[in-house]
Amino acid sequence: MKSSKPAGTPVSNEKPNTDQDHTARVNRRGFLKGAATGAAALAVTPAAEAQTPSAFAASYTAPSYQQMQRDTGLLTPPTEQRAVVRPGSDLMVQVLKDMGVEFVASNNGSSFEGIQESIANYGNPPNVMPEFITCLHEETSVDMANGYGKAQGRPMAAMLHGTIGIQHASMAIYQAFYSGTPMILIVGRDDGFIQAHTANDMAAMIRSYTKWDAQPTTLEECLVALQEAYRQAVTPPTGPTVVVIDMELQKEEARDMVVPPFRPAVIEGVDVSTARTIAQALLDADNPRLEVGALRTPEGVRAAVELAEMTGACTSTAATRGPMSFPQKHPLCGPGANTAYDYVLGLEANSPNLSLQRVTVTSLTESRDGMGVGFGGLRIEGARQREGQNNNNRPAGTLLEIDAEASIPVIMGEVSRLMTNEKRRQIEDRKARHAAANQEAFMTALRAAVEDKKKGWDLSPVSTARIYAELWPLIMNEDWCLASPSSFSSSHHMGLWQHDKPYSYLGGQGAGGMGYGLGACAGAALAARSRGRIVINVQTDGDLNYTPGALWSAVHHELPMLTVMHNNRAWHQELMFIQYLAGVRGRGTDRGHIGTSLRDPFIDYAKLAEGYGMKSEGPIDDPTQLAAALQRGVETVKNGEPYLIDVLTQPR
Amino acid sequence: MKSAIRISLALGAGLVASAGLAQTMGPVTGDVSEGAQLYYDHGCYQCHGYFGYGRQDLNNTGSPFLINEDVFRSFLRARADVAPLLPSTSMPNYPANSLTDEMVQDIYAYIRSMPSNRPETASVPTLQAILRSGERPYRP
Repeated sequence: MKSSKPAGTPVSNEKPNTDQDHTARVNRRGFLKGAATGAAALAVTPAAEAQTPSAFAASYTAPSYQQMQRDTGLLTPPTEQRAVVRPGSDLMVQVLKDMGVEFVASNNGSSFEGIQESIANYGNPPNVMPEFITCLHEETSVDMANGYGKAQGRPMAAMLHGTIGIQHASMAIYQAFYSGTPMILIVGRDDGFIQAHTANDMAAMIRSYTKWDAQPTTLEECLVALQEAYRQAVTPPTGPTVVVIDMELQKEEARDMVVPPFRPAVIEGVDVSTARTIAQALLDADNPRLEVGALRTPEGVRAAVELAEMTGACTSTAATRGPMSFPQKHPLCGPGANTAYDYVLGLEANSPNLSLQRVTVTSLTESRDGMGVGFGGLRIEGARQREGQNNNNRPAGTLLEIDAEASIPVIMGEVSRLMTNEKRRQIEDRKARHAAANQEAFMTALRAAVEDKKKGWDLSPVSTARIYAELWPLIMNEDWCLASPSSFSSSHHMGLWQHDKPYSYLGGQGAGGMGYGLGACAGAALAARSRGRIVINVQTDGDLNYTPGALWSAVHHELPMLTVMHNNRAWHQELMFIQYLAGVRGRGTDRGHIGTSLRDPFIDYAKLAEGYGMKSEGPIDDPTQLAAALQRGVETVKNGEPYLIDVLTQPR
Repeated sequence: MKSAIRISLALGAGLVASAGLAQTMGPVTGDVSEGAQLYYDHGCYQCHGYFGYGRQDLNNTGSPFLINEDVFRSFLRARADVAPLLPSTSMPNYPANSLTDEMVQDIYAYIRSMPSNRPETASVPTLQAILRSGERPYRP
């Protein structure tokens, strides 16, 4: 491996930290209590062993004073004598700081120990921007990055240990790819250690379902690669990017190497001429409309709101189906006073006139699927055919494959330029009519939803509708985010809740895989923690059992996440598949539960959570007990602690 | 056989569709408690809920397929020979070697015994709170 040449002087004012406060966010008393217990156990064990000699006892040597000091965190490493004064990994962490990467989620691994140590010790204060998030499985690390990225519209990072870390993470990467979630995956590579953990082309395993990757050979290249990874992740088609970083680069002496300044991504929108045409059409129309799908970031949502308000256009929203769409209760959101629209602009949504839609991952076939693996979404024609067949997803009007979010400011500029006082008066009148009609439409839909959702209200097990219904009055005055996929629990929030924030609902798994929910919710809760927000996780039991370790991460990092178990004690969709097939084959429709149910024994999720250190209660099967439990849960979460309530539910 | 099934189903649907005869439900001859167990064992609850409220309601829906035992049995049998082979979450078919006529009668009895549970909205504070929330003005 080549070493980099020192050049210039550091840009950053950050100095290697030598006097960090390790007590931050660490309950040292609790830790030492545990250590003391462990020491007591050690003291007892040799005596017991002495009566029954064993190989272990014969070889056992008590830890030295220095070892004990180090293990209990009391030994401060000498700071004057350092083999490497300015390790390359400090500069890598500085790049992450410059880009505003808040978190690096990881299950630790030796191939990135340089970066991990830098996160822990570099900067003042250390372990902030980014903060190291401890995960118990790489799938959780990437799911957390997925949940965070969906909620914020920007990347955090996950760090993976060589070939084995990549393979653990691969399912979550696959889901993030299909969601188009921006994230940076840092993969450690160590040729000098276990050969099974390294590879010549580390990213090849996941290339066909990531957007971009690099395996730099020098420290300078590595810093640039991390910056490019960020830009690529947030530029349409958005998605996961990968930087494979050799151990040598992390550990090499950077001397006075300069951290290159970060250049943000430049994302192309419509040109001024096109924007002027669109603006003119919006202003000439008597009844314009905006069809709004999923924009990229909260800034895009704000811009869409501003455009609607400028033009007096009523809008649709996709906010009940996923993040980054128009606020559902905004006065202009709804069918409006008149549904005979004479010009419709699609913003990441279909329109009979003009649709602005960014490219998606299906555009990556040529560059990313060199091996011809042919995952579903990468076959452009196949994917589009399916979209056409299943979703009738092709717009009837003109489609411009360009980012709507980047286009809106240009369009608004032209709207401002073309606006007249007379037009402004007309728009204000129209807005008032739309607001009244939309409120009426909203209430009509809400009353219908309430009538529908109260079915089986008092029955046990608890109806899934009642979970969502009881939650809403408790959270409607909070800043909340529903981060769990809701389709398996019948998506009752769609009719009962009001989705007014870009992150109100984070949508489905991406690729439909299980094991996503808990990690993604924990990631959304990472985003929520410093923003006064709480995260709601209506958690299916089957999904939780893939990555229950995320419960511990939520406790460890004090994440404001309320988990309400949708505990139906089965993988019900699969149960129905098996039963259907049994019926077709004319046998044993009472045996569909084999391999699809979670009984004998039932799983106690409250105890499971308790084992991970999470406050919890349940199982609750009496619906009259639900509201009080949810109240306790919301209050706990608002105080910065995760909480789990196990609820025995109807199947869906 | 298929013709007979179709006739039965058509009869059931027609009975309800014509002249609002939903009240003329047929007699119940099965055992409710046996039916409850069969309803669970054969997975009816997965779509229809433990008490007939689910993604596909059974509870007091006035479904023509529940008009009487014969129509119900014919409905369960109807798709045994025609259902596509691909797995689906659609209604499974239940041939006689899976559910006997007696078992069908028991399940029918259980379905007919399901208590209605739709409280008055005005009597449930949570539902009232949800409706009130809809009246609130938008707050960005």
